[in-house]
Amino acid sequence: MSSESSKKRKPKVIRSDGAPAEGKRTRSDTEQEGKCYSEEAEVDLRDPGRDYELYKYTCQELQRLMAEIQDLKSRGGKDAAVEIEDRRIQSCVHFMTLKKLNRLAHIRLKKGRDQTHEAKQKVDAYHLQLQNLLYEVMHLQKEITKCLEFKSKHEEIDLVSLEEFYKEAPPDISKAEVTMGDPHQQTLARLDWELEQRKRLAEKYRECLSNKEKILKEIEVKKEYLSSLQPRLNSIMQASLPVQEYLFMPFDQAHKQYETARHLPPPLYVLFVQATAYGQACDKMLSVAIEGSVDEAKALFKPPEDSQDDESDSDAEEEQTTKRRRPTLGVQLDDKRKEMLKRHPLSVLLDLKCKDDSVLHLTFYYLMNLNIMTVKAKVTTATELITPISAGDLLSPDSVLSCLYPGDHGKKTPNPANQYQFDKVGILTLRDYVLDLGHPYLWVQKLGGLHFPKEQPQHTVITDHSLSASHMETTMKLLKTRVQSRLALHKQFASLEHGIVPVTSDCHYLFPAKVVSRLVKWVTIAHEDYTELHFTKDIVEAGLAGDTNLYYMALVERGTAKLQAAVVLNPGYSSIPPIFQLCLNWKGEKTNNNDDNIRAMESEVNVCFKELCGPRPGHQLLTNQLQRLCVLLDVYLETESHDDSVEGPKEFPQEKMCLRLFRGPSRMKPFKYNHPQGFFSHR
Amino acid sequence: MEVFQALQRLHMTIFSQSVSPCGKFLAAGNNYGQIAIFSLSAALSSEAKEESKKPMVTFQAHDGPVYSMVSTDRHLLSAGDGEVKAWLWAEILKKGCKELWRRQPPYRTSLEVPEINALLLVPKENLLILAGGDCQLHAMDLETGTFMWALRGHTDYIHCLALRERSPEVLSGGEDGAVRLWDLRTAKEVQTIEVYKHEECSRPHNGRWIGCLATDSDWMVCGGGPALTLWHLRSSTPTTIFPMRAPQKHVTFYQDLILSAGQGRCVNQWQLSGELKAQVPGSSPGLLSLSLNQQPAAPECKVLTAAGNSCRVDVFTNLGYRAFSLSF
Repeated sequence: MSSESSKKRKPKVIRSDGAPAEGKRTRSDTEQEGKCYSEEAEVDLRDPGRDYELYKYTCQELQRLMAEIQDLKSRGGKDAAVEIEDRRIQSCVHFMTLKKLNRLAHIRLKKGRDQTHEAKQKVDAYHLQLQNLLYEVMHLQKEITKCLEFKSKHEEIDLVSLEEFYKEAPPDISKAEVTMGDPHQQTLARLDWELEQRKRLAEKYRECLSNKEKILKEIEVKKEYLSSLQPRLNSIMQASLPVQEYLFMPFDQAHKQYETARHLPPPLYVLFVQATAYGQACDKMLSVAIEGSVDEAKALFKPPEDSQDDESDSDAEEEQTTKRRRPTLGVQLDDKRKEMLKRHPLSVLLDLKCKDDSVLHLTFYYLMNLNIMTVKAKVTTATELITPISAGDLLSPDSVLSCLYPGDHGKKTPNPANQYQFDKVGILTLRDYVLDLGHPYLWVQKLGGLHFPKEQPQHTVITDHSLSASHMETTMKLLKTRVQSRLALHKQFASLEHGIVPVTSDCHYLFPAKVVSRLVKWVTIAHEDYTELHFTKDIVEAGLAGDTNLYYMALVERGTAKLQAAVVLNPGYSSIPPIFQLCLNWKGEKTNNNDDNIRAMESEVNVCFKELCGPRPGHQLLTNQLQRLCVLLDVYLETESHDDSVEGPKEFPQEKMCLRLFRGPSRMKPFKYNHPQGFFSHR
Repeated sequence: MEVFQALQRLHMTIFSQSVSPCGKFLAAGNNYGQIAIFSLSAALSSEAKEESKKPMVTFQAHDGPVYSMVSTDRHLLSAGDGEVKAWLWAEILKKGCKELWRRQPPYRTSLEVPEINALLLVPKENLLILAGGDCQLHAMDLETGTFMWALRGHTDYIHCLALRERSPEVLSGGEDGAVRLWDLRTAKEVQTIEVYKHEECSRPHNGRWIGCLATDSDWMVCGGGPALTLWHLRSSTPTTIFPMRAPQKHVTFYQDLILSAGQGRCVNQWQLSGELKAQVPGSSPGLLSLSLNQQPAAPECKVLTAAGNSCRVDVFTNLGYRAFSLSF
């Protein structure tokens, strides 16, 4: 306690201004004496207010004493020292009081501080507690939210609906009594059931897999069995060959043909199939065969390395050969052209037999790079034909099939894409190569199922069986008619060249019994010559004299009258009639320009041709027309009015029976022959 | 079939033409018995295209050639093989037009039906006169349709008729070489001119037939086998002979000119004095009929049309040249 008080004192000494040490000593004695005397306890007892009053009084006393001392000192005197001493002692006492008061004040202060400190500590502790609790609350809240948001995987599983579950699940899983009331239990139960079911299904799956394996193995076994069957069947077929020959059922031959047919390019294949079908179904006179080398056809499909080798070989060869000879662009171009115009090694041969035993041989080729088909035709007859001079072109392979369908002249390639290919190798038109390669008629393309629509050029042309089938019958019929009409013309020409118009007996009714005018000449003329004639201008202008037609000149004579007839024979004879243009030389030259009757004669022969067709198939048209021309000339000459001023009888006396000689504003002669009455009248 | 159609067109002859009462349409009849109606106003308009030169409608009118046609103010009358048919102009442009009526004059012969070469309208008496193959002129009343009388006199078939308005008389020219005048009221022959007997105009190498007639009351022009001649009717003398070698098939008076056409491509224009004023070539090698559209209702369609030995009708807007051709 004394050390404490000394500790306390020291700071006080520093603070206060030289407080007399005496006063301190006294104080410490007093203090030492009373150990139970504690100033702290005294503080609690004393009233701070009164202490304050005391302090104020003490200060006042001090001030008064000082002032008195001052006074005494200034007056000076003996009494003064005692009074000063007296007053000094009083002021010392007062100083001691002041010090006590100071101490008390300090103690009070310290107490106050301590108390404050304590309270503060408490408050801090509470504060901390509060913080902790708040923190915990927050944490718990977070946890709660997490728990609430928790989605367990089980919600993702589509569980069976409640009713089903209660229906299907066995009772030990569904535990209806428990689960009905408790959704948690219910969900658990459902999950249990789900698991059960899944296990069962997994079992089933494994079973099925194993089943499948078994069946696959069985299939393998059976396949092997079947493949071992094939060689046995082959041997049976071989064995049956002699039987087939004996019975005239050439299945094997047909089979071989089908085998070769498999190597045909698609258009030729379509043609082959359709033609064979047509032949079997409708026309027994049609026979189909395949010519050419199958090996070459197979070689076309070799893998590219081989063909590249070939190319490089041929290139090397070409280089050598072109080194030896001066290489000309023409030679290389020539080879390129040949390559472009290359034909497929296989070709289809069609033989059409007609009733009179003449045969039309058609060979169909396929040009691979150009994707078109061409045909070469040949007509052979049962007996050998002596070709009259004028009939040279009738059956020539070049023109016998020209314009089978109107406008189909077969000199241009029907595939529009070919033009670009031709430009590359400098081929102008296919016309130059047609003799060698055959004609690419449009009907040939259609028979092969190739269709080239004009509006959209196609990159790949697909072969179409239906196109071929729809055209097969018409085309075959047209071909037959064509051959027969050409052969008929052939025969007729032979007779015409001798000056005889061959009229068959069933056409005799068309003409009167006596015909005096005679056909004197029958020759072919060239197209250019025809267009140069002065009386054929109308026909040329009307576009009816193209270069696919054949042109002839006939000369009919009677007496001094000579009638020239220029004939245009359309390849589509006899459905398209021949066209006649006349020029009469008798008392001047009369043509349709200056004589209405010549015009009428032409009209009789050209426009009224239907009556002259004769019995079907109408091959008699040309000869009937010629005969009619002779009759018309007769009528013309005989009905010419007699010129009174000229002397002498008429050159041609009228022998024909006519009702009237002239009729109508143009004074037509009676050109129409009426059968069986036998008189002539006007149309 | 195109070849057949082309051949038909090449051998077509247009025998007759007639202008509609409104002046805007032209009917043409050909040797196949078809009548085609062309729209003159469409073909003459400034926006005419190639289709305007084709007929608006073509129909089969007769079995035989349509040799002659004439128009009243509502009907088109066409005649050919023995009968005359009437068509309504108002209905004629519709498809499937049927004839209003058809009549056949009483013929004597039954072996062959004679053709009707010429039709003549006598508007004052409302008569239609037909003449043709049976050498007679038949008169038909247009209202009742009955044939009133027949005039005989020609010895060969009749080619053409003309009307002399003043008195009213009908002139007929025939194959027998004579032009006969008949009085309509008395139905008797009044005058006969045998053209071939006059040396100035006869051309025996062509024959004696009279192919065309036109009259201007005092004057008459006729041609055919004999040369084209202008006659003074009262004195029956030939006054002018037109130097045309080819036989003429149609002749008409126009203003102060005479227009004629026949064998040869041209339409000839003659002065009354006999001089050839102009020869305008057409597109047909021979012409058979000329038609002047003088209908007052359509002055813009005033044209001369010529047709003959082809399927084309030449249109002359100005007598000096051929403007264009309509074609069947």
